Amino acid sequence: MSIDETIRQLARSTYYQNIYTSSKEMSGIQLFENTSNFSGLQVLFLFWLQVYSNLYEELSQKKWKYLDEKVINNNVRCDAFLYWRKQQNDIEIEKQKREQQVSNLKLKDKSNVSTFSVDFEGGT
Amino acid sequence: MENKEILTESISDISKDDFNTALIIDNKICFVIEESLYRVRMPNQGEQAFAESKRNLAQLEYLKQPGCITQKQLIQQLKESGVLDVKKLEENKEVLLKKLKQYWFMLATKDSDNADKIVEYTQFIVTTQDALKEISLEIATTLSPCLESRLEKFFVEFITNLCTEKKENDSWIPVWKTMDEFNKADSELTNKAVANMTWLLLNRR
Repeated sequence: MSIDETIRQLARSTYYQNIYTSSKEMSGIQLFENTSNFSGLQVLFLFWLQVYSNLYEELSQKKWKYLDEKVINNNVRCDAFLYWRKQQNDIEIEKQKREQQVSNLKLKDKSNVSTFSVDFEGGT
Repeated sequence: MENKEILTESISDISKDDFNTALIIDNKICFVIEESLYRVRMPNQGEQAFAESKRNLAQLEYLKQPGCITQKQLIQQLKESGVLDVKKLEENKEVLLKKLKQYWFMLATKDSDNADKIVEYTQFIVTTQDALKEISLEIATTLSPCLESRLEKFFVEFITNLCTEKKENDSWIPVWKTMDEFNKADSELTNKAVANMTWLLLNRR
């Protein structure tokens, strides 16, 4: 198993996920022997710990149709899901921005809003 | 052995090691060579600053040497002499990356019971990632004589020289006292120590 695979396996393990969750609620729980000067591998591990923590939370909330335990446990499928999820989140953010722009325009000049006042394409 | 072969061997060697939790439990990596236990540890702030000042001095030295070439100049020369077009390789990487994203998207939207498609897309993704790795390796190897790569190599080797220790009785003893000793040491040990140090410094610089 490669180092990257080992790090990800450790990060999604019940043991480390439990420690991570507990460490957010209770002080005094340490993940590593050192408390500073973290190595690149430790930083990478912390990154994946956070990613998998979010995924498990979203899985329990059944937030995404395509997310299940098999996706989390397979690195290639997990990478694909993370990419797809980012696309979906970006689309959602863009949608909210546009809605906010439209709503601001309506509030700003409620009596004088025409279709020309709203940039639906978001371009120039 | 060529640089590329050494690099490939180092990556596969270090990647196969199963350190398990030892990999992250502290900011050190242990390894064994001929029944002796060694470790590389993260440099402290003083050691890091020392290595950086040495690297700056090395830069002045390298600049005085005939044939010293920057990355930009080397890329240009390689292109003009027809040896390698780095820009073209970077463009190839972009094309592969675009394909990879398409397949990520298709794979992500498959239910777990759609085994055939999952296997097919996974295979394509793994092959594409291997091709991307191969291109990156080729670029890195070809650009290794440039000033920037030499300075990076110098820095990692200098830190490795400072932070590699051997277990003797119950103590950890520095393996080398000087850079000269490091340069003359057994390459199996220095290569392994440098490879491990590279992992420790991953994303830190």
